[in-house]
Amino acid sequence: MPELGPPPKSQSQSAPAPDVLARAAGPGAAARRPKIVGFLCDWAVSADGIVREDGTMRDLPNVTLIKVPCSGFIRPSWLEFALKNGADGTFVCGCPLGDCFNRLGNNLIQDRVTQMRRRLERQKIQPDRVGTIYYGLHEQEQFVAAVREFSDRVAQLPAPPPPPARRPAGVSPAKPSDGSPPGPTPAPEEP
Amino acid sequence: MYRRLLASLLRWTLRLDVGINRVYPADFNPLYYTGGLSNLFLTILILSGLFLFFYYVPSYNEAYTTVQYISERVPYGQIIRGIHRYSADGFMIVILLHFFRNWFTERFRFSRDEPWISGMMLLVFAGFIGVTGYVLVWDQRAELLVVMTGNALAAIPGVGGWLRNLLFGGPGLTNLLLPRMLFLHVGPAVLLYVLLWWHYVRLRHPKVWPPAVWTLFSLGVVLLLSGLIPAASQPQASPTTPPRQLAVDWLFLLPYVSLKYLTPLWLIVLATVIIVYGLYIPYQLPETRAELGLRESGIAQVIDANCTGCELCYYDCPYNAIVMAPSPHPGVTKAAQARKLLAIVLESRCVECGICIGACPFEALELPHFLEQDVQAKVLAACRS
Repeated sequence: MPELGPPPKSQSQSAPAPDVLARAAGPGAAARRPKIVGFLCDWAVSADGIVREDGTMRDLPNVTLIKVPCSGFIRPSWLEFALKNGADGTFVCGCPLGDCFNRLGNNLIQDRVTQMRRRLERQKIQPDRVGTIYYGLHEQEQFVAAVREFSDRVAQLPAPPPPPARRPAGVSPAKPSDGSPPGPTPAPEEP
Repeated sequence: MYRRLLASLLRWTLRLDVGINRVYPADFNPLYYTGGLSNLFLTILILSGLFLFFYYVPSYNEAYTTVQYISERVPYGQIIRGIHRYSADGFMIVILLHFFRNWFTERFRFSRDEPWISGMMLLVFAGFIGVTGYVLVWDQRAELLVVMTGNALAAIPGVGGWLRNLLFGGPGLTNLLLPRMLFLHVGPAVLLYVLLWWHYVRLRHPKVWPPAVWTLFSLGVVLLLSGLIPAASQPQASPTTPPRQLAVDWLFLLPYVSLKYLTPLWLIVLATVIIVYGLYIPYQLPETRAELGLRESGIAQVIDANCTGCELCYYDCPYNAIVMAPSPHPGVTKAAQARKLLAIVLESRCVECGICIGACPFEALELPHFLEQDVQAKVLAACRS
């Protein structure tokens, strides 16, 4: 019978093996604690006992979990939003693939994250900062181990270049004197 | 009490899944495909049943002979008969697996009671079709089944005798019996497909077929069994030598075995209670989301101004809760101005999972009590802490 390896490696599918990155970045890189935002499905791993009051994980204080009704609820733009607002990495945790409580949610988010990784690459953001993890209700230990592995992997990534996507408000070429922040609803133009 | 039992059953179900996922990749876990497997067995049953139907004569004197003729004279008849026999067992096994799995993982919650109720009916009819199939062979076991069923029905006060005459075409063994049984074997099999429509109507992309490797495996097992253990009849039924011993099939004939310990009336009461309880399972736990420790997100709402009619939510909603209607007026945003269609959420089908929100690239859907800005505020708070 072929050996499929330990569950964390076989289940977190959208990221390369951590030891490759560890060799690339050197041993000291893990000391820096990356800020991680995780989206956790209500029906996947139970949050009882692994999350503090403020949403950070008991064992990994640098990881904050946000509970959502289903992993398919997550818009990839929210993962991008987290990365652009100071998070070093984001991940989504859903039920095991094929066993989503809402039937298709985790397959859909898997597809969407795969598409999103290409988009991140074009924006010069390492796609390994986004991950997907799939564990069932009672697999808390494996989940914490997988999150720790993800956190270590993100810590070993080189720091991203200062993002050109989010232009500082003062130097916008369109409106040099306007100090309003960029957003979906622009301020009304003055005559 | 029931709550705790269900929780521990869920724990064991998931533990079994973890074990199986260690052996197979998660995509091939057979327990994730119990519904598709039962559809596969049903298809095998229909095809092999058509073959048997060509030869079978439902008459008192010829039924047994035609079945023997199929077994002994028709090329591959014995194999096809075995396939029909053993895939019926497989059908029942995977239906029961499907039933228990969806019970223990609570996949009947919120607006998912209709697949549950249609599934219960599918289960009951599958058992009924199995029993009528045993009668069609018209060996001693068949005769015994008819006698036992007749006695059990006659035990119902008031309507019992009438029910028995309705089912068997009169008291005792009549010429009407076997044609009626043939109809009750084939007719409900067609009804299964009607019930399956009901079973699927609230599901988008239902997993109707197992992965190819399990299809081949199931076919192989059924073929192997029908070759190794040929399906055989018992001696022919005859009124002069009434049978004494019931050859037991534990999947389909369990109620008849229990007649050894129960009076017929009690058996009927017990069966009714079990079926009614099965239909009641989805309503047994009227826990609200708050009691479950979940937020009240509210039914998904379409933001009329932003919807472009692109159908992405329609394709992704796992419960068919979104329909596309011709748009009565253009949207407000530039992308939505030329729309032809407008998404509409059917509230009775929505389970508030929010998958449509993840599907919509135009911010035209939201859960009213868990908005995009709520998520973004949480993300910002997490990034700042």
